[in-house]
Amino acid sequence: MELMKSDNIVPDRQPRQEEIMQQQKQQEEEEERRFHVLAVDDSVIDRKLLEKLLKAFSCQVTCLESGEKALEYLGLLHNSATAASSSQSQQHQGLKVNLIMTDFSMPGTSGYDLLKRVKGSYWKDVPVVVMSSENVPSRISMCLEGGAEEFMLKPLQLSDVHKIQARILKSLPQS
Amino acid sequence: MEVVQIQRTLMDYTKSLFMEGLLDSQFLQLQQLQDESNPDFVVEVVSLFFDDSEKLLNELTIALDQPSVDFKKVDSYVHQLKGSSSSIGAQRVKNACVAFRNFCQVQNIEGCLTCLQQVKQEYYLVKNKLETLFRLEQQIVTSGGSIPMIEMGF
Repeated sequence: MELMKSDNIVPDRQPRQEEIMQQQKQQEEEEERRFHVLAVDDSVIDRKLLEKLLKAFSCQVTCLESGEKALEYLGLLHNSATAASSSQSQQHQGLKVNLIMTDFSMPGTSGYDLLKRVKGSYWKDVPVVVMSSENVPSRISMCLEGGAEEFMLKPLQLSDVHKIQARILKSLPQS
Repeated sequence: MEVVQIQRTLMDYTKSLFMEGLLDSQFLQLQQLQDESNPDFVVEVVSLFFDDSEKLLNELTIALDQPSVDFKKVDSYVHQLKGSSSSIGAQRVKNACVAFRNFCQVQNIEGCLTCLQQVKQEYYLVKNKLETLFRLEQQIVTSGGSIPMIEMGF
């Protein structure tokens, strides 16, 4: 808390202004502390479901309907692999993503494509969970080898989301 | 009719849908996610499912009516329908889609047409039942009652 005992300004007005600003700052900090998840799925039903599941755990959720939209959001759409890291970080300033959950089978950029792009970028440390309605062992190992945090079978349940969140929160550095 | 009576009717009706295999535990998951901040969540998701499914069934009818059927396209539509029915717990629709995909894979047009009929039948059946369920819930709510949560021994 920074209560400034100033000796030059009207004492009545100042404390209230400071209070309001402090409240605003607190609210912003709370927003920033919330776990931000990107939910990527081409099915509108599954997006709605995933959003609700994540919100049940107080996550902030951004829903995206395709791999392309996800890449665009992350600022990876027009960058070549050799883009200077400084220009990349300028683009990403202020954007925080704690987790990406993506469907595997999507038209265009698949969940696997998204996973590979993310893991080869500024966002490589963000855990990526791949979801699929199909239990295909080769698909699962391919994703895990590609750097996926976890592979989950749809439809997801509350217990699945709980499991991921607990694991990721545990692995976060203590600040 | 007394609220208690409608509540009992709703409970029995819902249980029968599970017993007949029309719905599975995923539907319960949807109900569990519904809360005061989103009291119409189940109706909203199911409505999305209805819109999406009818679009897909239309596309499937058209695709299978072509002189040269694109089985990959058909399979992709069935895959989508299988996914969404699974997500809301419409078990019999999902199972009908599984059978449908098998015929797509071996490019058996007759089998596909039969399956399409089957999927449509299951879809309209579960749609009808869910609409009845929602009507019962609405009756309870407008009579000032609360919707009882089903306890199933899954």
